[in-house]
Amino acid sequence: MGAPHVRALGILSGRPAPAPGPAVWALPRPERTGDRFRRATRECLLALAAVDAMLEDGRATREAIAGDGTALLYVTAAAYGASNREFIERRGGVMHFAYTAPAVVPAEVAIEFGVTGAYGILIGGAPSTLRAIRQAGQLLDEGRCDRVLLLVVEIFEECADLYTRHRRFTKWPLVETAACLWLERGVGDLRFESRRDGSGAGPGRADERLAAGPLADLREWLDRGAAGALELSGHWRDEHARLQWSMARSHARGSVA
Amino acid sequence: MAAPERIAIAAAGAVTPIGPDLETFWSGLVTGVSGISQIERFDVSDLKVQRGGEVKKLGRIKDWCGVPDCRATRLLVAAADDLCAQAALRPLPLDPARVGVVVGTALGGVEEGERALAGDRPSRRFPDALYDGPGHDLARWLGARGPVITVSTACASGSTALAVGADLLRRDEADLVVAGGYDALCRFVLRGFNALRSLTRDEVRPFDRRRTGLLLGEAGALALLVRERDLRGPRLGTLLGYGSASDGFHIAAPQSEGRGLERAVRAALADAGIAPGDVDFVSAHGTATLLNDRIETSALKRALGARAHDIPINSIKGGLGHTMGAAAALEAFMCLLAAQRGLIPPTLHLEEPDPECDLDYVPGRARPGRPRIMLSTSMGFGGCNGAIVLEGA
Repeated sequence: MGAPHVRALGILSGRPAPAPGPAVWALPRPERTGDRFRRATRECLLALAAVDAMLEDGRATREAIAGDGTALLYVTAAAYGASNREFIERRGGVMHFAYTAPAVVPAEVAIEFGVTGAYGILIGGAPSTLRAIRQAGQLLDEGRCDRVLLLVVEIFEECADLYTRHRRFTKWPLVETAACLWLERGVGDLRFESRRDGSGAGPGRADERLAAGPLADLREWLDRGAAGALELSGHWRDEHARLQWSMARSHARGSVA
Repeated sequence: MAAPERIAIAAAGAVTPIGPDLETFWSGLVTGVSGISQIERFDVSDLKVQRGGEVKKLGRIKDWCGVPDCRATRLLVAAADDLCAQAALRPLPLDPARVGVVVGTALGGVEEGERALAGDRPSRRFPDALYDGPGHDLARWLGARGPVITVSTACASGSTALAVGADLLRRDEADLVVAGGYDALCRFVLRGFNALRSLTRDEVRPFDRRRTGLLLGEAGALALLVRERDLRGPRLGTLLGYGSASDGFHIAAPQSEGRGLERAVRAALADAGIAPGDVDFVSAHGTATLLNDRIETSALKRALGARAHDIPINSIKGGLGHTMGAAAALEAFMCLLAAQRGLIPPTLHLEEPDPECDLDYVPGRARPGRPRIMLSTSMGFGGCNGAIVLEGA
């Protein structure tokens, strides 16, 4: 399979919590004007902000991603937990029920930026994100779209007490992240491997971003000005996955491919 | 673009409001059985609409395997148990690392979260509330060690799961894939749809001029997918193609002209290498909401052209309710059984056709006919549109 080319990557990361202890590095709720966003959830607004950051990174206008030539893939392990909890605990009185659906996060992006191409939504951690990059490569290879936006959002603050009670389920600190990766057809090689063996997380990021971990790694790799081969890896539940990605052209922040 | 490798649906299993297995599901569809009833499993006394397609008898999980005993997982395992009755899957007939699981869901294990927050469940069950929990439970029950994927494209999840499962086989990540969808009725979703005021107190009447909304249902539906060249033995049919498209319009309402659904149908037909004129039967999403049925009619007319008026089209949600993540998989199985048995199930409770829904929606009773190429459509929250193209055995 051909390796997709990174056109741009926008990423928003939570900052260290001021108080010591079990930490969630939270992202603030982005401001966005317009009546349509009156009831939008924090994860939806973060998704939109991630796309804005991606456009800025790629020095592109929103028109560049509008239309049915753009496919939209969304991955999250847990971002819906916040809206699910709000709906449950407020007995459904305030929140629009549709916002509890994971599908509504990419939907807000599709509505705001006019993205109407193919889509996919995977629920899972870092291996799902690696799988989605591979799926993006396949969509591009098969000519099903001109570009793929891979959107990943993970937020934790609203359910921080639950994560605290299940400290062994994830690593710490939990770093809220919203990221959007713009991929186009490229030259190179992409190899995905996955195994499920029931073992623990093993080496990897010191923090925990669930599905967003690989895109944080990619951002660091791009910021180092690296070129050529890249290896991304991730773990979730009992699955370990690895993506070997050799790109013929490297991405530089703000480059116009 | 080369035609994708053909993926056989070797067998299917299901648990539904009209029957605990695929055979009774089928006989219920063709004889017009309704699975809609008063919901009994949890308290609905404060809700305006208290009925739905509830599975009344759902046994505890056999052969425990350490799987959590939550409703969503029970539905999946019950469907898998039915699948195993038709295809020898336990123990797995090949290296477990080559067996994948792909499930679609709109709700995942949310009921576990709801109960944990209410104090009805130990808080240690919190990880089961994540939407990918039941899929991993199913893999554990099956003994599968290959990829486990959960997709959540709202009410189009079942078709997405079948397509993702097919891709796993095409990419040689697995040699067998158990794929389908599920969702359980729970207070969370009942409250939500009550708040949206999209539930009816009448019968669910797809494409009828008197239709006033949908009712929810619960189900599990799983297929065994295998590359056609690897298949030994009988098959139910073939998954020829899949297409998806975002509306980019509204978080809960479909695009007013059905443009997204039209694009999904065109993409699915192109993926399958099938012309609109070759389609013999359509399983519509057909929720019986005012908007859905009118918009879907309009989209089908544009995507299928003049042929749209000649093709039988049905909706099976009148008897099942909208089974959310399971719906598209059940509808795919219905298509394949229609081809196999030579009978097209009717659209239950369609008695007075809506003039704006002027296609052949198979009212009344089951109709003889043996479709070969079938199209199944799905629409979901967030403007998720999916379509799959199937070929009968």
